[in-house]
Amino acid sequence: MTTPPIVCDALGHEYAGGVLALKPTTLTIQPGEVLGVVGQNGSGKTTLVKHFNGLLRPTSGRLLINGEDARPRPVHDLARHVGYVFQNPNHQLFATTVEAELRFGPTNLGLTPETVAERVQQATSFFGIEKLLTSHPYRLAFPLRKLVAMASVYAMGPDVFVLDEPTTGQDHAGSNMVRKLIERLREQGKTVVIVSHDMALIAEVADRVLALWAAEVIASGSPRAIFAEDRVMQRTKLYPPQITQFARRWAPASTRPLPLTVAEAAAAVLGEER
Amino acid sequence: MAQHLPIPVVFVPRNSFFHRLHPVPKLIWAVGAIVMAFATRNPLVLLVLFVLGILFIAGAGVMRAYGRVMLVLFPISLSLIVFQALAPAFPQPWTPIAGFGPFTIYQEGIYSGLSLLLRTFAGSNFAVLLVLTTHPADLFTALQKFGVPHELNFMVSASLQLIPIVQREFQIVLSAQRSRGMRATGFGAAIPSMVPVFAGTIERVQQLAMSLESRAFGSKGAKTSLREVRASAKDVIFGLIGIVVTVAVTVLVLQYQAQLDWSKTPFMPDWVSVALVAVAALTFIAFTIALWWRASRE
Ligand SMILES: Nc1ncnc2c1ncn2[C@@H]1O[C@H](COP(=O)(O)OP(=O)(O)OP(=O)(O)O)[C@@H](O)[C@H]1O
Ligand SMILES: [Mg+2]
Repeated sequence: MTTPPIVCDALGHEYAGGVLALKPTTLTIQPGEVLGVVGQNGSGKTTLVKHFNGLLRPTSGRLLINGEDARPRPVHDLARHVGYVFQNPNHQLFATTVEAELRFGPTNLGLTPETVAERVQQATSFFGIEKLLTSHPYRLAFPLRKLVAMASVYAMGPDVFVLDEPTTGQDHAGSNMVRKLIERLREQGKTVVIVSHDMALIAEVADRVLALWAAEVIASGSPRAIFAEDRVMQRTKLYPPQITQFARRWAPASTRPLPLTVAEAAAAVLGEER
Repeated sequence: MAQHLPIPVVFVPRNSFFHRLHPVPKLIWAVGAIVMAFATRNPLVLLVLFVLGILFIAGAGVMRAYGRVMLVLFPISLSLIVFQALAPAFPQPWTPIAGFGPFTIYQEGIYSGLSLLLRTFAGSNFAVLLVLTTHPADLFTALQKFGVPHELNFMVSASLQLIPIVQREFQIVLSAQRSRGMRATGFGAAIPSMVPVFAGTIERVQQLAMSLESRAFGSKGAKTSLREVRASAKDVIFGLIGIVVTVAVTVLVLQYQAQLDWSKTPFMPDWVSVALVAVAALTFIAFTIALWWRASRE
């Protein structure tokens, strides 16, 4: 049995000034799991995931990283296990070339120059950004800049990736790219935590969904189960992906598994006609 | 999103006499205090001005906010006392008071350190009072009535608003760098964060300019204001007192300049001077160590 990479033990957070942003939450994230975190603005999603690499510290309860209490470990140390990709790539990028940007993280970890070069090479080919290496990050279009930001975290070789709103501000092609990357991280056995308002993305890639409402986790389960629960959807004021909504209206009393993607819905329709 | 931010100097809403006062008389006092503080180096005169400022601030009920602002000046003022005592900004010869080992404390240094310190605080007290008790919009509306151009007012207030935004941005960027394994200690650690912060700020300012243009910022004609500022008799009186006090004190102080120059007068017993310098030096060292220790634990 492998140790879960992240365990929250009654973890709660209250910001200075008395805002209770996260009520005590108990949660185990399994290795290789893709976890979606959803909820309205201000429900505490970012607050929860910022604990995973120590950017925030629990004001109550505990956080275990690979089975060890994270309390004494600074952010730059936790960063080797948990990579955090910020929503806005502009907050992350500062170097004059993409290559220097990729080197920054692994160099900070104190790796040898050979290992750093190897990590940069791996990240470059994983993200397919060979052509961008000499470009200035600020000259790149937004989706590519986001890609570079993700690659710069990938180069550090963490087992867990936290992605805060990876598809916000991306066009269709951009969000498809993000989807593919998440799938490939899954294939590599990485654990991925995605905070998002993009329900179609969550429905497609997440193994499990965590629904937050008013600083509290009110539901946790497979996307199919969560999107079928009217009570959760109404409280969080979230809407399942359009195709799921459509399928529910079209066959409300359906006993079939609820389709989450167009492909699943199409398969269901074709199956019925046959 | 309501975020908790360490903003250094901002308006503190209260309902005191000073809050209800028209901004212009407060501005007169702020300018007057600076004029008076720079007219003399006499520690006693400066002390009186300083205490008056403190009384006003206490009367306005903004003592805590004032304390937070002045905490920033605290280490600098301690070092002023110490360094001036050891090496006065005065022409030689200096009058020694006491010595420990290689260090000698001079009378001129004590005088110069104390007067610089008191001058800084006495001069800034009333300006801080103005900022803490006046809604920025009221200040600018009032100034506009006196013919200060709307654009200038806007420029100042927009830059002031930018400070907390840049602070927050800096914090986000710093945490992004730490997430990539950077050890956040010392000034060197902040350098990689400069690029994103400044690039972001420039972008923001450009966007602000465009959004202003699209809301007719450059249109001709008088601008109206949502907030109204009226002057009453008490405002006029308070402003006039400010002018009279400033003029009178400045004239008197300049007239009796020779008598008020205490640079060679031992106005405090020697042991008080020595104790003052020793306490300042020790506190300064303790403060530096505490800061350094906190930074290294980040
Ligand atoms: N630094 C802070 N200081 C004080 N309160 C904060 C701070 N950051 C967030 N909050 C508050 O905590 C609550 C949760 O915020 P959080 O950022 O976790 O929400 P979120 O679910 O990520 O929202 P969004 O979808 O808008 O990103 C909000 O009420 C917010 O105002
Ligand atoms: Mg968020």
